[in-house]
Amino acid sequence: MSVSFVLRAGERGYARLVSTGVNATYVAGHPDGVITRHSSFNFHEYQSGLAGFGSIRVFGDEVFSPGGTGYNMHPHHNFIICAFVLGGALTHVNTIGKVDELRAGDYYVFSAGAGGKHAELNIGQEDTRIIYLWVLPSQLLAPPSYLRGRFDAKANANRFACLIGNEPGALPIGQTLKVTRLVTGRNSTPVYRPSPARGVYAFVVEGEARIGDIILGSGDSMALTGEDRIEIAARSGTDLLLVETAL
Amino acid sequence: MKKYLCLGCGFSYDEARGLPEHGITPGTPWADIPDDWICPDCGTPKSGFEMVEIPYWSRT
Ligand SMILES: [Zn+2]
Repeated sequence: MSVSFVLRAGERGYARLVSTGVNATYVAGHPDGVITRHSSFNFHEYQSGLAGFGSIRVFGDEVFSPGGTGYNMHPHHNFIICAFVLGGALTHVNTIGKVDELRAGDYYVFSAGAGGKHAELNIGQEDTRIIYLWVLPSQLLAPPSYLRGRFDAKANANRFACLIGNEPGALPIGQTLKVTRLVTGRNSTPVYRPSPARGVYAFVVEGEARIGDIILGSGDSMALTGEDRIEIAARSGTDLLLVETAL
Repeated sequence: MKKYLCLGCGFSYDEARGLPEHGITPGTPWADIPDDWICPDCGTPKSGFEMVEIPYWSRT
């Protein structure tokens, strides 16, 4: 097995953003509102880690706490920004004209392309937990687009569900990329089969999974290359994201 | 002529196109842009850009 890296939860970049001081216009919410962000790759102030993997540049595990907290409207280009809501609710507003409310299991693909702004807000009562995945596009300055999908954990228990990529039921993306989610209700050992010459970034949202002889707990991740089969021994109650990318 | 992408927001700089609206004339090499230049959209420093070989979108 060819392991590119193993990144433990505590080794990720950590940022705590508040709505006062330097981030007063960027961060929404009253002065006690806090965004916490764990970054798997270099992002903003965190620059001492990994640069990325394949076309992945950002993988942020974030919490907006409490209601009212989030990111005010701000601009993007080019990046394909994917968000996976894991808990609470997210209100997404973008300049394509979409105002969307996403709950646990919902996800979106926002391709900023030639230019688009978005705001990301928790306007609910609970904390919002979200994974943000940013991917380099295959073409620059494309027309911006927004698509949203829903992952049904019950209907997809103990199997690989393709959320994003070129598969039926998945959201299409303008890049050689596939995002798959596995949620287990019992101990399971499914085998993931990447396409040839791809790399796979595996991130444990919750629970515990073993890949080869590496045991990953909540927030741990690893990247693999040169595999045509990846056996994943996941304990009951594990929630895992797999991002397959061209290298 | 190369292209560079801001890793903070995705803003792209193309040496061939420059950024006339920000005072950088077309044809300006990346190396000639001052080190204290920042992304006009998000403030990321010049060192936070990545050289990319990605073509522009076309309808076909
Ligand atoms: Zn920027």
